[in-house]
Amino acid sequence: MTKYIPTIGVECHVQLATKTKLFSEVDNDARGKEPNSCVSPVDYALPGMLPRLNGKAIQYAILAGKAMNCEINTYSRFDRKHYFYPDSPKGYQITQFYHPIIGEGYVKLPSGTRIRIEHAHLEGDAAKLTHFDNYSLVDFNRVDTPLIEIVSMPDIHSAEDARDYCRELWRLMCFAGVTNGDLYNGNMRFDINTSIAPEGSDELGTRTEVKNLNSFKSVERAVAYEIKRQTKLLEKGEKVIQETRGWNDATGETTGQRSKEEAKDYRYMPEPDLPPINLTAEFVATEAEKLPMMPVDYREKFGGVLKGDILEILLDYPSLMYRLNEIDKAHTVAIANLFTSVLLAEEKSAEYLNDLPSAKDLNELVEMNEKKELSSTATKEVFLRLFDPQMKGRGTKNIAKELGLIQENDFGALEVIVDTVLAKPETQKAQADYKAGEEKVIGFLVGQVMKESHGKANPSAVQEILRKKLA
Amino acid sequence: MVAMEIAREDIAHLANLSDFTLSDKEAESLESDLKGIIGYISQLEELDTDKVEPTYQVFEMKNVWRADEISTQDATREELLATAKEEKDNQVKVPKVL
Repeated sequence: MTKYIPTIGVECHVQLATKTKLFSEVDNDARGKEPNSCVSPVDYALPGMLPRLNGKAIQYAILAGKAMNCEINTYSRFDRKHYFYPDSPKGYQITQFYHPIIGEGYVKLPSGTRIRIEHAHLEGDAAKLTHFDNYSLVDFNRVDTPLIEIVSMPDIHSAEDARDYCRELWRLMCFAGVTNGDLYNGNMRFDINTSIAPEGSDELGTRTEVKNLNSFKSVERAVAYEIKRQTKLLEKGEKVIQETRGWNDATGETTGQRSKEEAKDYRYMPEPDLPPINLTAEFVATEAEKLPMMPVDYREKFGGVLKGDILEILLDYPSLMYRLNEIDKAHTVAIANLFTSVLLAEEKSAEYLNDLPSAKDLNELVEMNEKKELSSTATKEVFLRLFDPQMKGRGTKNIAKELGLIQENDFGALEVIVDTVLAKPETQKAQADYKAGEEKVIGFLVGQVMKESHGKANPSAVQEILRKKLA
Repeated sequence: MVAMEIAREDIAHLANLSDFTLSDKEAESLESDLKGIIGYISQLEELDTDKVEPTYQVFEMKNVWRADEISTQDATREELLATAKEEKDNQVKVPKVL
């Protein structure tokens, strides 16, 4: 049977976290705001309105480009892409068709595979439509939110790599600080082009496009489904039709969509209202300098200290990575483990991630654990309390004290408790048994001391004192 | 001079892209108008523009951009929505689109 090699290209739209829109001085953050409350006459495309380019979007484009090892084109400009649809009040989208700001580059996946970037460009987002039975409603809040559209080369050959590529793009954009990266709310959206061709073939097969995926899992599933569907078609001697297909997350299938327009006829033309962007090499270099530590830098810094899988988990949570970077180097492993095995397992972790305890509090926690002032169970408990809105900010030591979790390590104080226990009639038999060589009863005696200390004694210290006293 | 041919199908295609419904009479008159306009503009094709930079804009401006600061808008939501044919729940209501 013929072996088919899949080829996948991804187009990714990233909403930039600028304060204002790409072409108007209106609030770009419409989260939790009423429909059409972040709209200016420019967004509404009233006659005579002129777009004014947001300089911050250019700075972000440079950072995004650098995060993907891309050339920054010093000359770029805007074009009009015409189409008729209620999500575009202008009747066209302002985009960069002929001269994009970001040129060729590449993204390196955690596996080491390199996916080349063809180019990336700036453009305005469209309005949001909500469909009802016999009408649709239009909310223009999202009109001209700045987007960067990243176009990959067809370098991806498996569903897993497609997923990893999208995830790595998300990380790069988050660490570069250009987007809020909220996938659920559409801050990043993925369009996947999939085709298959017989192994050894020089030509790519007919491709299908699945648009607007907003999770890595759905990217992986949609690509896997398309590979399977197309393979079946070819094995039956049928043909793949070039079309846009919709993804259904519930059924895990793609279905052909009725095409809106038979031919894409966008009639691109230069946007006469926006003068070209002509950047100096100095400006690009100065902006590129502002690129913070990227996943590749974190991998280099922590790769020798943390296990690979722990590090990759943490790279999905930029705020945790930033904090880990501020922690005393000696505490890296301990804190990384608490983050991954305790914090992320917590139900409220998503909420907690927005407001992390200070590096000082976290350092102190590890130190208390190392000094045996906190048992490992108590360390986990105090750790979680550091995130608790009711408790946080009070300092690690105070919280541990308040909760009565500090272990008694003071040998003098412990000896007093041990003596009290040893004087009790109910421990006499155990003492005699121990002295007669019955090792196991030491556990019973430690337990009695723990009880007497209300759980605050450090069990290993208690055992040491008991052994000495009963020797 | 090579005048670009405009066929009735081109008129129908352009109308479709812009979601216009044209009567035969309108299409016929547009066809002749467009033929005239394109024929007139086609005179430019006689010029040798090989060494001429394309003109994207008539003012020699570049790098016109603004600071990323929110400013109050002159028009209110109510005023903007009032320009739409129909509104519902503070949104513009349009015929069902697929």
